[in-house]
Amino acid sequence: MNAPRQAVDPTRCLVELRNIRKAFGGVHAVDDVSLNLYPGEVVAVLGHNGAGKSTLMKMLAGAYPIDSGEVVITGEKVQVRTPSDAQRLGIESIYQTLALADNLDAVANLFLGRELLTRWRTLDDHRMDADARKVFHRLNKNFTNVRTPVRRLSGGQRQVVAISRAIYFNARILIMDEPTAALGPEETAMVADLVRQLKADGVGIFLISHDMHDVFALSDRLAVMKNGRLVGTYRTQDVTEDEVLGMIIVGKQPAGKSQAERPAR
Amino acid sequence: MNQPLQSIRSASVDWRMVLMAGVLVAISLIFNAFSDGIFLSPENLYNIAQQTAVVGILATVMVLVIVARHIDLSVGSVMGFVGVLIATLMYSANWSWPAASLAGLAAAILVAMYQGSLTAVVGVPSFVVTLGGLMSFRGAAFLVADGRTQPVTDPFFLRLGGGIDGAIGATASWVLGVLMCLALALTMMGRRRARQRYGVPTNALGIDILMVAVPCAIVLGFVATMNAYQIPNKDAPQGIPVPVLIWIAVALCMSFLVHRTRFGRYVFAMGGNPDAAALVGIPVRRVTLQLFVLLAVLTTIAAIVSIARLNAGTNSLGNNMELLVIAATVIGGTALAGGSGSILGSVLGALIMQSIDSGMLLLDVPIGWRYVIIGQVLIVAVVFDVLYRRWSGDTP
Repeated sequence: MNAPRQAVDPTRCLVELRNIRKAFGGVHAVDDVSLNLYPGEVVAVLGHNGAGKSTLMKMLAGAYPIDSGEVVITGEKVQVRTPSDAQRLGIESIYQTLALADNLDAVANLFLGRELLTRWRTLDDHRMDADARKVFHRLNKNFTNVRTPVRRLSGGQRQVVAISRAIYFNARILIMDEPTAALGPEETAMVADLVRQLKADGVGIFLISHDMHDVFALSDRLAVMKNGRLVGTYRTQDVTEDEVLGMIIVGKQPAGKSQAERPAR
Repeated sequence: MNQPLQSIRSASVDWRMVLMAGVLVAISLIFNAFSDGIFLSPENLYNIAQQTAVVGILATVMVLVIVARHIDLSVGSVMGFVGVLIATLMYSANWSWPAASLAGLAAAILVAMYQGSLTAVVGVPSFVVTLGGLMSFRGAAFLVADGRTQPVTDPFFLRLGGGIDGAIGATASWVLGVLMCLALALTMMGRRRARQRYGVPTNALGIDILMVAVPCAIVLGFVATMNAYQIPNKDAPQGIPVPVLIWIAVALCMSFLVHRTRFGRYVFAMGGNPDAAALVGIPVRRVTLQLFVLLAVLTTIAAIVSIARLNAGTNSLGNNMELLVIAATVIGGTALAGGSGSILGSVLGALIMQSIDSGMLLLDVPIGWRYVIIGQVLIVAVVFDVLYRRWSGDTP
């Protein structure tokens, strides 16, 4: 594996998104949104389809350019213009569509865009193969057909490939967009375990999910978006499922609950 | 399941290639039977290999273009333009052949940068860009020499196209053949050793030996055939024709690019899922431009071989070449939807197409029927491709 994860200071903000805006044509997909993430914390990002949550996360991942606003990572203002920029900053993403090249095998997909090279700048297939098997094995002991095109793999195995990217490249910040949408119960439990494990390692996680059970089981805080704007950010333990649904559907802040800019410690 | 069958199934053998090779052998045997043994004579095989070279060279790169979900309809016209340009510089401007060839390469790269940036940067579909190019560069091929044929006379240059002195002789052919077999064996040994070092499962030893022995037998058989052909008024056998040698070298280089470099990996990733390629940070525009430049390099090589073969550059050089190249690529198992294809497949595809064409020529099939049949062979190949993918579960 790569260099060991750096020690993290859990009180120091990992990601600060400040006044982020993004418009597609005349539509404000993300309008003046600010959101924090601390190490070892899971922040659920909720909202209807088209609320802007995926767009916000794709900006952090470098897939869309940011119109205005600042991204601050561990106190430093950074520019995230391309997915490679994001990867260099330790930001990994797991997309709903999984972002896998279906015609390539699991090993090639794990290293896609960041292939290991030999001294002669050619692909180091054997090292990639061996390393990939180790990571896959850690996530799923029965995963051996790593050399067949991923289109022939099951949903759970494809998810293993996507998640392996985050683990192998030592993500500090992980964006999970509907990570359990296509999975069966066992595989969903595997993802939940993994989230807890990464949390314990000090990784900060943005979790986009429609599944209220996942949200309440896994997240420390939750942020609700509606029509591109942030409705509010709360500690998950402070709000009820009905209050969250109220925020998602009508954009109403729950009465008498205070917002939370940081996790409880 | 018993042990040997299990190891055959798990071995990384491309059954599709084996099947295509089988088709090629079957076609050859059928034509051989109908032509009273002329089809499989060394002379005919020598000519088929030599005639296929230009289409074959271009098909190796067309595979990558189609895998990346693009197409190049202008390849024949650009080849014509570059070919006439090189011939004109040598004949009318008295340039040496290396200088003229480099100038041709520069022109081809300019064309590639133009068409490539329209496709990669502006986002015009390559079908449209190269459809325009198909017409424009055919016109440019006319304009370069005002439509006049430009003879090519440099004796060394002419050898690049094959012909009477355009083969490397028996000894050199054997040496090359043996070297290739050695390279195959060493590569396989290196692969086994590396796999064992990293603890990755290897194929059964018998399978790996077979996977070296069969290609070696084909290489040595090919060399023996080429060495068995002697032009009647010459005192030594021909050996491997230079255009075929160039084709082999090109195919090896392209295979290397596909299997061993990031560029090849990215081309396949872009074809498999363009969105995923962009999301993981592959520089899609740059790779697309590089692909067009690679196309330019191989188009120049094909142009050089063509004008050397025809002893002249004419404005009709490479007419309809794009159709033959795309047909060879598709017959070779490259899916037009992108994402899958192989260099070896394009070699077999080009050979199958040329074998059917020459076989029919030997049997005096009229030109009209030859076109009708070649066209339907293409359809059969695509139908087979669709059925094969459905059967193997490869439909997306």
